[in-house]
Amino acid sequence: MNATVSTVLHILWTFSQLSVLGFGGGKGIIPQMHRDAVVTYQWITSDQFAQFYTIGKLVPGPTTVFAALIGYAAMPGRPWLGAAAATIGMFVPSSVIMVVVDVFWERFSASPWRAIVSHGLAPAIVGLVWSSVWTISRGTASGLVAYAITLVVTVLMLRTKLSAPLLIAASGAVGIFALR
Amino acid sequence: MSADATAPAVATSKPSLLSVALTFAAISSTAFGGGQKASIRHQVTSKGWMDNEVFMDGLELAQVLPGPNILNLAIYCGQRARGVAGAIAAFLGASVPPFIIVVIAGALYFKYASNPYVHGALRGCAVGALGLTLGNALELSWDERGDWVRIALLIVTALAVSIFKMPLLLTLVLFGGIGIANEYRRSRKKPEKPVQP
Repeated sequence: MNATVSTVLHILWTFSQLSVLGFGGGKGIIPQMHRDAVVTYQWITSDQFAQFYTIGKLVPGPTTVFAALIGYAAMPGRPWLGAAAATIGMFVPSSVIMVVVDVFWERFSASPWRAIVSHGLAPAIVGLVWSSVWTISRGTASGLVAYAITLVVTVLMLRTKLSAPLLIAASGAVGIFALR
Repeated sequence: MSADATAPAVATSKPSLLSVALTFAAISSTAFGGGQKASIRHQVTSKGWMDNEVFMDGLELAQVLPGPNILNLAIYCGQRARGVAGAIAAFLGASVPPFIIVVIAGALYFKYASNPYVHGALRGCAVGALGLTLGNALELSWDERGDWVRIALLIVTALAVSIFKMPLLLTLVLFGGIGIANEYRRSRKKPEKPVQP
């Protein structure tokens, strides 16, 4: 098996696993994705991971589409192929589950298990989001200016209705002067 | 507009597959975050693909199952409108435009990331995104404040994953499992009051 096929299969397999475990809208998969892409396969660095995640938040559509950038970087010779493999792995398995469950949905739509499962999983997902904060912070700038930007964005996000891309873009504008 | 909840149940119309794909392509290439759900709701109910009740049922399912909520929701709407073919059309509409946009952004990234100004901007953007994630974590944690079991579970999960590198599957099975058991126990205790977020 040549190197290209082998890398494509690794990308597909890695992101497919993340896809089926992507409960809570995929919020909880960031730490595992970092471990796979940065530590295990070394497709990208921690800094790149944080920046790709940021691009995922900047573009319209689901944040986890930034998986495409990991695939892109993993296959420097055929970046579009790597990006497509990562996106297929990331989106297709969960989508197939959605289609199949919807066929049977009405059968257990009255079941109390729906609420029990989604509400019961929530604490673990929130814990994983905290772990994502930890994961992302390992690839972001340190120092007083960086911490100040993070804090201001946190407060603005909680207290105002400013949109996520706007807050990220404003942080970038500050970064041009202060984090070069 | 009062079209959403009050409109009489119009005879649901069957859109073409192309129109399903284009509807979700238009939303997925322009809308961000929570705005996407509102856009999808407006589109599918105003076009008469389904009524609001059917939509809300799908929203709940989309949030329970793994995968991006927006993508799941698009698939649900496509499937209700045109069956499995509609689901595939919705999937393509909701995923292909963001894919193309993000890859173009990636190509620019690899071309210009070493420029000091771009580098500074990217580092600034990343600390901003970190702030958003931190805000999200705080917001979600605040929702859990009523039950000490859930708070403990949240903290233990964060520590196990961050410090002890617990794999995602094990994390979900173990701590997700405990959370579900805890929720089941609570629902048995208070059968008259169903669990609600």
